Amino acid sequence: MKGKSGGKDFCGFALPGMFCFFAVVIIPFLYGVYLTMTDWNGVSAVKNFVAFQNFASVLKDTQFWTSLLLTFKYVIFVVIIVNILAFAIAYLLTRGIKGQNFFRAGFFTPNLIGGLVLGYIWQFVFSRVFVGIGEATGWSLFESSWLSDPNLAFAALVLVSVWQLSGYMILIYVAGFMGLNQDVMEAASIDGATGWVKLRSIILPLMMSSITICLFLTLSRAFMVYDVNLSLTAGAPYGTTEMAAMHVYEKAFTSRQFGVGQAEALILFVIVAIISGIQVYLTKRQEVEA
Amino acid sequence: MKKSIFSRLIALGVLSALIATASTGCRFGFASNPDDPNEVEEVEPIDTSVDTFAYDPSLQGTSITLLNSKAEIQSALVEMGAEFEKKSGVHVEVMPVTDGDSPYTKVVSLYNSGNPPTMSILDTTDVIALAEEKAADLSSEPWLAEAEGYLTEVNGKVYSFPLCIEGRGMIYNKAVIETALGETFDPASIRTLDDFTALLDRLVEAGIERPVSLAMEDWSLGAHHLQYVYETYDGTSAGAAEAIELLKSGQLDLTSYDRMSQFLDMFDVLRTYNVAKSDPLGADYDEMAIDLVDGKTAFWFNGNWAWPNLEDADAEKDDEYGFLPYFMNNDPDDFVNWQIQASPSKQVMLDGVVATEQQLAAAKEFLNWIVYSEIGQQMLVKTCNIIPPFRNNPYEPSDPLSRDIYSHVHDGTAFNASAIVPNDHWSILGAAMQKYLAGRSDRAELIASIEDYWAQQK
Repeated sequence: MKGKSGGKDFCGFALPGMFCFFAVVIIPFLYGVYLTMTDWNGVSAVKNFVAFQNFASVLKDTQFWTSLLLTFKYVIFVVIIVNILAFAIAYLLTRGIKGQNFFRAGFFTPNLIGGLVLGYIWQFVFSRVFVGIGEATGWSLFESSWLSDPNLAFAALVLVSVWQLSGYMILIYVAGFMGLNQDVMEAASIDGATGWVKLRSIILPLMMSSITICLFLTLSRAFMVYDVNLSLTAGAPYGTTEMAAMHVYEKAFTSRQFGVGQAEALILFVIVAIISGIQVYLTKRQEVEA
Repeated sequence: MKKSIFSRLIALGVLSALIATASTGCRFGFASNPDDPNEVEEVEPIDTSVDTFAYDPSLQGTSITLLNSKAEIQSALVEMGAEFEKKSGVHVEVMPVTDGDSPYTKVVSLYNSGNPPTMSILDTTDVIALAEEKAADLSSEPWLAEAEGYLTEVNGKVYSFPLCIEGRGMIYNKAVIETALGETFDPASIRTLDDFTALLDRLVEAGIERPVSLAMEDWSLGAHHLQYVYETYDGTSAGAAEAIELLKSGQLDLTSYDRMSQFLDMFDVLRTYNVAKSDPLGADYDEMAIDLVDGKTAFWFNGNWAWPNLEDADAEKDDEYGFLPYFMNNDPDDFVNWQIQASPSKQVMLDGVVATEQQLAAAKEFLNWIVYSEIGQQMLVKTCNIIPPFRNNPYEPSDPLSRDIYSHVHDGTAFNASAIVPNDHWSILGAAMQKYLAGRSDRAELIASIEDYWAQQK
């Protein structure tokens, strides 16, 4: 009896969802894994099985490892800056300052602009507005376009990503702050906890669930960055700001080596999955109940 | 409550302002590619009174598709398709390749989904990559005779229809040069790299501080500049292919190959007189057109596809713009110093996998109509503003850049060589050229990266 209705429930509720999940996630994923072992160029009708040759090519593709290293650097900067900034701003925006709803909306807005558009807007800012300011004031930092210097172009990427991602994270942190139990805060104050001690011993542990989510979101989004990378720098100057995801795309579609590109994508996936997994595991352990 | 509505209104206002800037922002900020789909073309009248083309009545009601990767002629092609449908009863659906998609990726995804276009406008490299597997054999079509010298063969067979000729070189603004020097300017009088440098020096003395615009985009540096190294091997496409084969096998040593050092000699001259010399990688493509039209510069290295950009910058169709060759040495008899590179670029490939006999016949009729009918000939040149590779087409393009290429082709002062390089050539070696342009690598490093690239292409 139980089994029968369970089967019916399963068919009615879970099956459609599972079907979609398999159709658009699991099967393409497995097919992708299969493609890493072929020499397919994206067009030909014949796909020759080449075993692990593509992975050997990945090892030899120094540009891929350079871009992966750059991605790590980028992720570290973005994750740290976004979370600290979002946490601090969210903290300020939950203290009842004047016009805080307006500020919340304002900070969230960049997140509503698509990454491509955002990249083009900032491209204009970096290569025209900043240069204009440089010409008018003579400040050497703005003398030439940020996008033409490898280090400054990287800084520009980090800056724009932080600007875009912070709003979303602020929203999550604000929700976290609003959910803080006022009784606990009051009790802490009565016990004499103020400022730093209160933040470290009371607020941070209680906020851990928000931090878990935010770290996970920023980590995965930063690792997979493509749109801002494409529209802001497109790898310029001379390929020094090409992140891993963009390199994978270029490999598969511009260099027309689907197998190698797919193998690189798989490696990137494994790295991101492991790192995010570790992060969720570690931060989850820190979560406490009020 | 009242206050919160008020603050929401402000937020909404800020939001809409941001969205408004967002949607217009890219218009002036983005170093756009030269094909602007929003381009409003002046319509040139087409005379449809005479039409001696023989249409096949059995094809009436057939529907075919055309994938267009040449964004600036999208609306012109739609017009052409409509005119063709009126006459032949064949419906031509023109599908654009959207911005951001590469034509090759688009056509491949259409093939993979089992729904390929009957005709696709592609670059020569893409045609060669797809031809034997997917394309219909066009070797026995009548228009082959009219396009001799402009056909692309794959193992002895023709799979594509050459749609247009495009040429590139140093675009000059004649009025600017003449005003600065106070004398008439005869482009044919410049025959060597020294002549060209002397002219630049005189322009500098006359007050045009840095007379050359040099695009930093990788497609410009990697494809349009660097490919001179292969194309000037002997000035033919076969020669370019031979040079590339020699490079792949390591038999052509770029450090001692004269065209390589000659190319860099010219490139160094351009670098020296570059208007964006202080920050060459910060150069803005759209600004270059404005600078050339306004006379801040006198030269811009580009091709006849740059006309829409110049027109946007307020150049008029009767202004005098033209091309100087890419001077590579001081021998006035060397063809590189008096000939402009001009070769067929976009090609139409017919699907040979999914299309029915009827659709193939209709597509072939459409191509023949472009070549042989009075209306098709006019529309190719006047509506699409294309330089036709077909000898029987009597019409001349109307913008000064295409006109100049056209007259070079007809006067025999153009060389028809196009190098067929791997698809990532422009992006990988474009980056190497950017590094050299910015002065962050020397000749040896640049040459090493080119040789590395070719060594991997075996």
